[in-house]
Amino acid sequence: MAGKPAIRVAARDEGAPWLTLKMREAMEAWLFISPTLAGFLIFFVGPLVAVVWYSLNEWNLLTQQSTYVGLANYADALTVNPDFWHVVRNSVIFAIGLVPMNMALALALAMALSRRFAGVVFFRTVFFAPVVTSAVAWAIVWKFLLQGEAGFVNQMLAGIGIDGPNWLREPDWAMAAVIVTRVIKMVGLNMILYIAALQAIPRDYEAAARLEGASSWQIFRWIVWPLLGPTTLVIMVVTTIGSFKVFDHIYLMTEGGPENGTLVLAFYIYQQAFEFFETGYASALAMIMFVIVMVLTVVQLFLRRRDT
Amino acid sequence: MTSLTLSGIRKRFGKTEVIRGVDLSVDDGEFVVFVGPSGCGKSTLLRMVAGLEDITAGELRIGARVMNEVQPAKRGVAMVFQSYALYPHLNVRDNMGFGLKVRGVPVDERTRRVGEAATTLKLDALLDRFPRELSGGQRQRVAIGRAIVGEPSVFLFDEPLSNLDAELRVHMRSEIAALHQRLGNTMIYVTHDQIEAMTLADKIVVLRDGLVEQVGSPRQLYERPDNLFVAQFIGSPKMNVLPLADVRLPGGAAPAAAASVGMRPEHLSVVSPGGGAVDGKVMIAEYTGAQTLLHVEAAGHTLLVLHEGEAPANGSRLGLSIERANLHFFDADGRRAG
Amino acid sequence: MGSLTQRQLRIITQICWTIALAVVAIPFVFPFLWMISGGFKSANEIFGSPSLIPREWQWQNFLDVFTYQPFARQYFNSLYIAVTVTALTLFVSSLAGYALARLRFAGSALVGLFLVSALMVPEEVTIIPNFFLMKWAGFIDSHWPLILLPVFGPQGIMATFLMRQYFMALPKELEDAGKMDGLSRFGVWWRIALPMSRPALAAVAIITFLNSWNLFLEPLIFVSSLEKFTLPLALSNFTDPYGMPLWHLQLAATSLAVVPILIVYLIAQRQIIESFALSGVKG
Repeated sequence: MAGKPAIRVAARDEGAPWLTLKMREAMEAWLFISPTLAGFLIFFVGPLVAVVWYSLNEWNLLTQQSTYVGLANYADALTVNPDFWHVVRNSVIFAIGLVPMNMALALALAMALSRRFAGVVFFRTVFFAPVVTSAVAWAIVWKFLLQGEAGFVNQMLAGIGIDGPNWLREPDWAMAAVIVTRVIKMVGLNMILYIAALQAIPRDYEAAARLEGASSWQIFRWIVWPLLGPTTLVIMVVTTIGSFKVFDHIYLMTEGGPENGTLVLAFYIYQQAFEFFETGYASALAMIMFVIVMVLTVVQLFLRRRDT
Repeated sequence: MTSLTLSGIRKRFGKTEVIRGVDLSVDDGEFVVFVGPSGCGKSTLLRMVAGLEDITAGELRIGARVMNEVQPAKRGVAMVFQSYALYPHLNVRDNMGFGLKVRGVPVDERTRRVGEAATTLKLDALLDRFPRELSGGQRQRVAIGRAIVGEPSVFLFDEPLSNLDAELRVHMRSEIAALHQRLGNTMIYVTHDQIEAMTLADKIVVLRDGLVEQVGSPRQLYERPDNLFVAQFIGSPKMNVLPLADVRLPGGAAPAAAASVGMRPEHLSVVSPGGGAVDGKVMIAEYTGAQTLLHVEAAGHTLLVLHEGEAPANGSRLGLSIERANLHFFDADGRRAG
Repeated sequence: MGSLTQRQLRIITQICWTIALAVVAIPFVFPFLWMISGGFKSANEIFGSPSLIPREWQWQNFLDVFTYQPFARQYFNSLYIAVTVTALTLFVSSLAGYALARLRFAGSALVGLFLVSALMVPEEVTIIPNFFLMKWAGFIDSHWPLILLPVFGPQGIMATFLMRQYFMALPKELEDAGKMDGLSRFGVWWRIALPMSRPALAAVAIITFLNSWNLFLEPLIFVSSLEKFTLPLALSNFTDPYGMPLWHLQLAATSLAVVPILIVYLIAQRQIIESFALSGVKG
C-alpha cells in the first residue's frame, strides 16, 4: 500500500500501558463528574448537615455565641409558638386551595387544546405565557389590579353593581387572591404536561370505544383518566411540593399579611432567618419543611411503584 | 505481519459471564467470520478486539504485541459498525477524513487518501452529501471508506449488512469479498447469518453462549460438524436429526457411540415407501421455483426435504433415501461420533 | 329549514369552544396589557381611568425608571448573571451527565442516587447554612451566590439528569466510531455527543436562563446594594420614601423587564414550551 499507514500498531512501547482501560475510564468519569460532585458537597451536603446542627443550637445575636439546646427549637415550634401552627394551617389551606384548582384547570385546558384546530397554538401560547414571566412581575401587576377601591378588578365589579372587597387587606380574601393568581401563573406548566400525556394516548383507543358506543364522558372516565394516572400523580406531588415552597409571590403581594393571614411556611422560615435572625429556630423550621417534602416524595415514589 | 491471537479471553458484565474462555488464532490476511445466534457473545468478542470493551481475563495479541490495555485508536484496527455510525453533522468527505484529522495527518495527504478511497468505492459524486441524504448502501460504503483511509492492519465488521434489504445485502457481500482480495488485510467479520459466513469466510468461528463450538473452513463445518449445534446452525434449511433407532441405516451399522443421526435436507431423495432410510407422509410442500421444500412427517418427527422436480401431493406416503457418506453420527452428548 | 348537517354542527361547537377559551384567557393576557398600559400613564391617571389606552402617553416614565435607581446597571446584572449561569450549567451538567450515562466506574449508581436526592430537598432548607457559607467566603453583597447556588443547586442537578437521559438515548456506536478514529474521551464528548444533543442543551439553556432571570429569594438574601440588584429585586423597589409603590414607574420598569422575554417567547414559543415539557416529565 502507498503511504505510511496512519493507524499503526504502536510498536515502540512493548510493555503494557500503566493505566488499564478500565482504570482510565473510571478516572475520566470522576474527572467529568468532579465539578458537579464538588459543588454538591459544598452547597448541598455540607449545608444539609449544618442545618441539622443549627437547629439544635440557639444563636445569641448580642453575644455572638451559640449554645446547644437540643430539641428546644423543635419543641418551640411544635408546642410553644402559636405562630407555627397558624403558619402550617395557612400552608395547608394554600395547598388545598391551589392544587385541585390548578390540576382541574390544567386538565380542562389540556383536553381543549390537545387536538388540532385553528387557534390552538395561540391559546397554548397564551396560557403558558405567565409561566415564563417572573413571579415578581406577575405579583406586582396583580397587586396593582387588586387595589382596594381604585383597583381595576373592583372598578369592573362596581360596573356590574358588585362592591368588591379590599382583596389584599382582608385575610380570607387575601388568601383567595394569592391562590387564584398563583394558579393563573403556574397552570400552564401542568397543562403542557397533560397535553403531552394526552397526545401519547393512541387515537385507536378512542376510536375503538366509540365503535362500541361509549359516550364522550364514558371515554374520559374509563379510558383517558386511568391512562393519565401516572401523570396525574406526578403533577399532584410536584404541585403540592411547589405550593409549600411558594415565597416570592406572597412576599410581593401581601408580605404574609394581613394579620399573618397569608404567612406560609417558606415565608415564615425566611422571616425568622433573615429578618429576625433566629437561626436556630429557622433551621428547625427548615428541617420540618424538609421532612414534609420528603414524606410527599416518598409517598409519590411508593404510589408510582405500586402502579407499575 | 498482522496475525491475531486470543488466549483464554473472558468477559464478565457484573455477574454474568458472556465470554467464557475463547482461544483463537487468526493468520495474517485471513478473513475470519464470527457466527452464532444472538446473545452468543460474537459482537462482544469483536468489541474486545477493537478495544471498545475491556478484557476481563486472558490475553489479546495483535501482531506481536499484547493489546489488552491499549486504547482502541492505537491498536491498528478499524471498524465498520452495524448502524454505520456516520457522524450526522459531517458530510461524506469529513466523515471519511475525520480519523485522519484527529490523528494530525496533513491536509493534502488527507485529501489524497479520502479521494483514493472514494474512487475505489465509487463515492466521488457523494463527497459533499450528508449521511441523511444517502441510501443505505451508500452509507455502508462510506462506513467502509472511513475504515479504509486509516490504512489499518486489521478490519473489523460488526454485522455490517444487517440493515440492508436482501438484494443489496448480496451485492455488498460480494463487494466486501472483493475488497478483501484487493487489500489482503486481516479481517474479522461478525454476523448471525450463516450464508454470509459461508460465502465470505476463510475461517468460520461458531460461537454459542460465550464459547467456541467449532473453528474451521466453511467446507469443514458443512461436511464435518463437530457437534449437533454446529450441524444444525450451518446449512439451510437446517439439518434433520433423528434418533438412531428410527432410521434404517444404509451401508451397515453405525459407529459404536452414535445415538442420533443427522441428514441434510438437500441430501435426502424421494423414493417409494419402504425403499429408503425412513418412511413418511408429506404434510406441506412449499414450492420455491427451482425446488420444493417438503415437510415430511416420519416416526413422530418432521423432516425437511429439498426436492427437485415434480413434488408429491400433500398426504402422499413416500420413502426417503440417503447415501451413507452423507450421514452424520452424534453421540448422546451431541458430539460427533465416527 | 332542515336540521343542521354534521359539518355545521361541528363548526358551531368549535366556535363555542373558542369563545369559552377566549373568556378563560382574559386573566392570562389582561395583566400584561394592563402592565404596559400602566407604564405609559401618569401618576395621576393611573388610578383614574379604567381604560387601556392612556389619555396622555407618558414616555417620561421610561426615562425616570433609569434615574430613580441604577436600572440599566441592574438590567445588565440580571443579563450577565443569567448568561453566566446558563453557560456554566451547560458545561458542568453535560459533563457530569455524560459520565453518568456512558462511563462505567465503581460507584456510578451510588453517585447518581446521591445527586438525585438533592432534587427532593427544597432550596429553603439549605439556604440558611449557605448564607453563612457565603458570608464566610466574603460573598455577601456580591453576585457569586447568585451564580454558584443555581449552577450547583437542584437546578444544576436537574440539568445533569436531563442531559444524562438524553445521552443514554443517543446511538452508542457513533461514540465508538469516534474512539476508533482516535478521539479522547473529552473529544468524544465535545465533538460527537454534544453536537448530537442540541435539543437537550437548548432545553437546559432555556430553563436555566429563565430561572436565573427570575430568581428572587437568593438576590433578596445575598444582595443589598442598589448597583448589585438584579431585575426582580429592582422591580419591587420603586417606592416613595414611605414605602408606597410608585405604580407608574414600577409598571414601566416591569414592562421593560418582561416585554423582551415575552417577545423571545412569542418567537420561540414552541421550543420553549417543549423544553419545559421535557424537563417536567422527569421531575
